Amino acid sequence: MPMKIGDKPFKERVKDGVQQTFARRAVAAAQDGLRERKLNATERDEALGDWETWRRAGEEIRRHTLENLDYYLEQLSENFAARGGHVFFAETAEEAQQYIQSVIKKKNAKRIVKAKSMVTEEISLNEALEEIGCDVLESDLAEYILQLDDHDRPSHIVVPSLHKTKENIRDIFREKKGYSRSEKPEELAAFAREQLREAFLQADVGITGCNFAVADTGSIVLVTNEGNANMVATLPETFIAVMGMERLVPSWEELDVLVTLLCRSAVGQKITTYVTAITPEANNDGADGPKDFHLVIVDGGRSKALGTEFQPILHCIRCGACVNVCPVYRHIGGHAYGSIYQGPVGAVLSPILGGYEEYGELPYASSLCAACTEACPVRIPLHELLIKHRQRYVAGAGHPPAGEKLAMKAFAVGAASPPLFRLAEKLAPAVTAPLKDGDRIRKGPGPLKPWTDIRDFPAPAKDDFRKWFKAHKKEKEGGE
Amino acid sequence: MTTGSIHNRDAFLNRIADRLGRNRVRSAPMLERLHRPELDVYKDFSQDELLSVFKNACQNIHTDVYETTAEALGARLSETIHALGGGPVVCGADPRFREYGLDPVLEEEEVFIWDPSLGPVNIEKAAAANIGLAFSDVTLAESGTVAFFHDKWRSRSVGLLPTQSIVIVPKHTLVPRLTQAVQNIEKRADSGEAVPSYINFVSGPSNSADIEMNLVVGVHGPVRVAYIVITDR
Amino acid sequence: MKVSLFITCLSEMFYPKVGRDVTEILERLGCDVVFPEGQVCCGQPAFNSGYRKEAAKAAKQMIRAFEEADYIVTPSGSCAAMFKEYPKLFADDEEWKVRAEAVAERTYEFTQFIVDVLGVEDVGAEFHAKAVYHTSCHMTRLLGEKEAPFKLLKNVKGLQLLPLKNAYDCCGFGGTFSVKMTAISEQMVDEKISHIEESGADVLIGADNGCLMNIGGRMSRLGKPIKVMHISEVLNHRH
Repeated sequence: MPMKIGDKPFKERVKDGVQQTFARRAVAAAQDGLRERKLNATERDEALGDWETWRRAGEEIRRHTLENLDYYLEQLSENFAARGGHVFFAETAEEAQQYIQSVIKKKNAKRIVKAKSMVTEEISLNEALEEIGCDVLESDLAEYILQLDDHDRPSHIVVPSLHKTKENIRDIFREKKGYSRSEKPEELAAFAREQLREAFLQADVGITGCNFAVADTGSIVLVTNEGNANMVATLPETFIAVMGMERLVPSWEELDVLVTLLCRSAVGQKITTYVTAITPEANNDGADGPKDFHLVIVDGGRSKALGTEFQPILHCIRCGACVNVCPVYRHIGGHAYGSIYQGPVGAVLSPILGGYEEYGELPYASSLCAACTEACPVRIPLHELLIKHRQRYVAGAGHPPAGEKLAMKAFAVGAASPPLFRLAEKLAPAVTAPLKDGDRIRKGPGPLKPWTDIRDFPAPAKDDFRKWFKAHKKEKEGGE
Repeated sequence: MTTGSIHNRDAFLNRIADRLGRNRVRSAPMLERLHRPELDVYKDFSQDELLSVFKNACQNIHTDVYETTAEALGARLSETIHALGGGPVVCGADPRFREYGLDPVLEEEEVFIWDPSLGPVNIEKAAAANIGLAFSDVTLAESGTVAFFHDKWRSRSVGLLPTQSIVIVPKHTLVPRLTQAVQNIEKRADSGEAVPSYINFVSGPSNSADIEMNLVVGVHGPVRVAYIVITDR
Repeated sequence: MKVSLFITCLSEMFYPKVGRDVTEILERLGCDVVFPEGQVCCGQPAFNSGYRKEAAKAAKQMIRAFEEADYIVTPSGSCAAMFKEYPKLFADDEEWKVRAEAVAERTYEFTQFIVDVLGVEDVGAEFHAKAVYHTSCHMTRLLGEKEAPFKLLKNVKGLQLLPLKNAYDCCGFGGTFSVKMTAISEQMVDEKISHIEESGADVLIGADNGCLMNIGGRMSRLGKPIKVMHISEVLNHRH
């Protein structure tokens, strides 16, 4: 599945999202829970020290890494290959697909197990593998559920099946896999464990993403809770890791900091159950572990952000903290974004990777409350990047509503000229008099209509502050 | 395949350098870290203080902690194996079992010892095992984490495939947090040692909150974990 | 101490009482309040919508109007934050950047000024009511002022300030967002209102008229009996 989710226009997706009562309640509850957990594991954890200092440490590391991305990618590839691994640099999704297809064809492999990876969704990897006759099985519990449900799409970066009830999941297992137990989460999980265990043991090829690659030793690090990524990286003979090109650290020292920021920010845990670093082993004559290890490094449009004001979005470590505090995401849910990258990070990243034509409205779906900027563990100025997208949008990259440009120009003229502004001020009460209902306007014209559709609008005040102030000052001076 | 390979690198990296408005960086850039908060966590704690932190952390990750002296380790291990339902038990070919005098226990409990020369049988045994048994190489007090630097003798699967897991934790392996463990890894890498191809930091049993945000303990990896801490080694 | 009042376009057009309350309070605290006639609008609506050039025109006018000021005080955290944004707006124009920095440095939100500059936490107000306080996003996150309003409200005689659930969640105003993305804005303001109702308060207090106009306008449409007051009105309430 590619980055895009669905075909409907944004406004319709918003309407759909708002109407999904269960999903919205689930999202709100998840947000509340995850926010608390993050706070407990970060600002409120005294043993950790000053959280702001940790954020600055993360910011420094990411900024340095991106500024020297070519160097570290070169180092990573050298060290990975020196250990017998194979590195493929893919500029586009197609190149990545083709390389992986060729590896699999060479091995005559058919059974593929995967661990969750957003970048593999971005490059539509599963489709490319099914095209050449492979069986691809998603092994992350949430992704397994989504895959079974006729390829439903993820709705949250950390909890992809958030929009599904346990009854939904029981029904999916029943229908697709002959499940006969209850909707209790423990029983559902136990069933998935049984089903997937065989698959892990029989698979020919394992594919995962990569949370962080360590340049100075050529290692891939996976940060997970379920254990499935470990299965995928250990049991099949061939192992392929796909990474977004920006997901790396210079050395293990920086890995320490970023793993800490990621685990605490994403799930409120000091560390996830499994933090596993895998480095190629040429001539693996052990009884487990892959004999063949491939690393596919994907650009996919990320380089478009380099050297621009959007470069900081590439600092993202995919923790989802911004998603968990976003009031917009809270009310419209993940699918409404129309992209696998959702919430604030998605609103910044999707137009860059996928263009303004498709995703240009996303940066406008924000009240610029800056909760995201406040939450980001590596201090990406997310709300500022949304404004920068808006600047590009109105400067020609997008299609602002008719009349908006003119209105803004008129505003600029008025705002630069106090007499004009005062005139508008003085006229406003008179002009709006016919619309008044008491001291309110209930049915607004033109630009006011969206407001008054759901809210009353105050009628412009008749008393003139400036007049009052002048009189007041005179009175004071007279009195002194 | 013994030799690695790299494909399409130059065009890719040249494009990056281009976008960044400069030539390719060919020598290691200086990263001056002004903020290093990780160095202060549990700084200067004694091993006993770290043990206290560790035990606390284990409570939050659904992991049982048993303490023992080195002398009583064998008995304690047997007890724990039975408490977890007995065999089959698998373990890696780790010299520490002999070092700590555990050979008799391994024999009595009929523990299968990983042997690379036996091929696929190893995985079968691990997959069918009730308990996977291992020593922790370094232990992170902050998060109740044990770590394994694997090689083909100790295997990757022993801690992964069996239903439950027992990890023996000598007190001297305790460090404050991940920071010290990675310092060790970097030191060894700098001195020319090959980094182990599989390094696993494990904190408790596997879990998932994917179903309505309900935490389910025990998904694909072990469903239950017990640590045996040796307090005088 | 001479204080230059920046009333904000919203207050001037719709809530002039805020200007009167702010003036009276500052004068009572010993300030000499002046009103630069050249002020218009901080330019935020244009800036937030991506119209940088237009925002810069407004900014220049405001800088001209206020650059003689010793202290610039405004009853809006978001407008104060916009002033702080001005230097970045003129990043490529050294002359205006310097002028913008001078103005930004001397700009304060109203409660911030009373507590942090005047060092006052009790303005002698009395107002008997059960109320909640809505923490505006721009004031708390962009301006970084989280404490001042609470310090002042704590000392208002007779005022019972109740806790507000998810207090830091945005009310859905966001300037043009409230009219461009009304469907989402509606959900956000309705959730905010349900939290306000759950608190049991009779009065909603806020320090930003954008938020109050939004929440108040929706409550009015829904027929909610909760009174909406700008914090300056509460602080100017005396026995």
